[in-house]
Amino acid sequence: MKRAVAIVGSGPSGCYLAQALLKAAPELAVDMFDALPVPYGLVRYGVAADHQGTKAVTRQFARLFERQGARFAGNVTVGRDVTLEALRAAYDAVVIAAGLSGDRRLGIEGEALDGVIGAGRLTRALYEHPDADPLPPPLGPRVIIMGNGNVAIDILRLLAKTPEELAGSDLGPAPSKWLAESGIAEIDIVGRSPAAQARFDAVMVKELAKLGGVTIRVEGAGESDDADARKKIEALESIDGHGSGPRCITFRFGLVPVALEGRGGRVEQARFRNARGETVTLPCSAFITAIGFQAEGSLPRDALIGAAADPEGGSLAPGLYAAGWFRRGPRGTIPENRADAQELATRILADIQEASPRPAQEREALFRRLAGHVCYEGWKRIDAAETSELPQDRCRIKIPTRSAMLALAHQTRESGQ
Amino acid sequence: MKITVLYGTETGNAEMLAEDIASELQSEHTVECCNLCDFPPDAFKSDHLYLIVCSTYGDGELPASAQPFAEALETTAPDLSGIHFAVFGLGDSEYEETFNFGGKRMAELLAARGATQVGERAKHDASGSDMPEDIALPWAEEVIALAAEKMQETA
Repeated sequence: MKRAVAIVGSGPSGCYLAQALLKAAPELAVDMFDALPVPYGLVRYGVAADHQGTKAVTRQFARLFERQGARFAGNVTVGRDVTLEALRAAYDAVVIAAGLSGDRRLGIEGEALDGVIGAGRLTRALYEHPDADPLPPPLGPRVIIMGNGNVAIDILRLLAKTPEELAGSDLGPAPSKWLAESGIAEIDIVGRSPAAQARFDAVMVKELAKLGGVTIRVEGAGESDDADARKKIEALESIDGHGSGPRCITFRFGLVPVALEGRGGRVEQARFRNARGETVTLPCSAFITAIGFQAEGSLPRDALIGAAADPEGGSLAPGLYAAGWFRRGPRGTIPENRADAQELATRILADIQEASPRPAQEREALFRRLAGHVCYEGWKRIDAAETSELPQDRCRIKIPTRSAMLALAHQTRESGQ
Repeated sequence: MKITVLYGTETGNAEMLAEDIASELQSEHTVECCNLCDFPPDAFKSDHLYLIVCSTYGDGELPASAQPFAEALETTAPDLSGIHFAVFGLGDSEYEETFNFGGKRMAELLAARGATQVGERAKHDASGSDMPEDIALPWAEEVIALAAEKMQETA
């Protein structure tokens, strides 16, 4: 009898897992559920709008649905529209690959002030995630980005780019206008640790040398004996002094945030402690935290991981697994999660042979009961609408609201245009 | 012709392209497709044409699945004279300084061991508008024709 796997989340980890499962077991039934009406998760809403090359992996993922028999069920929130238990009863294995979308907080005084914005919140608004908060008011002349990961560099680059430098991206009209009118004069990007321990990739830093409208300074990149750290330091040294544009970017390291302060409920300065224990104060009109992500949403990650039989191996309970950032935490690039997914697929395929297969009838009944779900053809209609009649300098214009997506997805031939 | 498509991949894009090339060539040739991480450098055969599909990762580095092969090639230093290969590289011109360095490095490593490169090294650009397979399939036909001549001469 045919075995079936449900994957919760159709981002890169879920898709790579489906790919590895179907490569090893082409006869397997794989159903992918996503809370959004559209697939690909982080590739669509987390990878920067101006990094289209990175988004090319979706061509692999499309084959899951177009050639390899996987089914897509979008607009289904597991934990709300269907319980995890119901899925577990219907499928031989259920894998949670829902990612981590909540911004980790600094946990310091002043974090609730206006002008303090989480990186996830900001990028969701910029990349037009249908559940995003509206774009914040203009950030003002002086922005601090707290964090030294690739997300912090993405935000730095987007805020620093001129409108012309966003050509070829899929940044929408409203976010493009918001960026063009930001009025940002200075951006400080601040790391808690020395540069040697920064998490960003050297290539992300080097990419900043292409920016035309900036002047870049790097303060205290330091030294290291470690080869990996040295690459990052050399990348920083290579961009130090770059450009003579109007936007000033300063990299600062070894500053631990202590408090955010302001009057009238709005952030005006950030207080840090440096390695010598001295207080350093930087003025700011906006403070963006890019210090990692945590679970948010309808699935109780902490409880699931806490009770897991083998959390490291991705096994939460019999027939229940976790993949990607949901399992490993907010670290690791897309290809690292691909390697993880391949390991997990091997494990799942071995495990499901041990138990007797779940009957397909119940599964199909459950799938049909999820009325209002968006199938892959529905997504293709959204995709076609997003990529037709484009302005010359954009490769896609995303449909920003769930209702408009659903209207397109559920449009049938009979109802016409 | 006996053709082996070898791929070095990080995100799976090169793997997908290698499989596409292999299945396209299947009807007229004897084709195998193999990940470079599963291919020992002493397994090259002089009556095969090797089509190498290789991406570029990070700061112009070889993709993960090509790295063990590259290391083995350097440590075992096999004599690859009489071996014919062609390279199709994948890259992203957003990173112009190291654009397509993965394919370039593979070509250099094999040439350094005496292997003969056939045709031009193809360079796909992820930031361009061409689909990799649209370039790769005509490229494959072209290098196969060139290789057929060369391999006949040397046989």
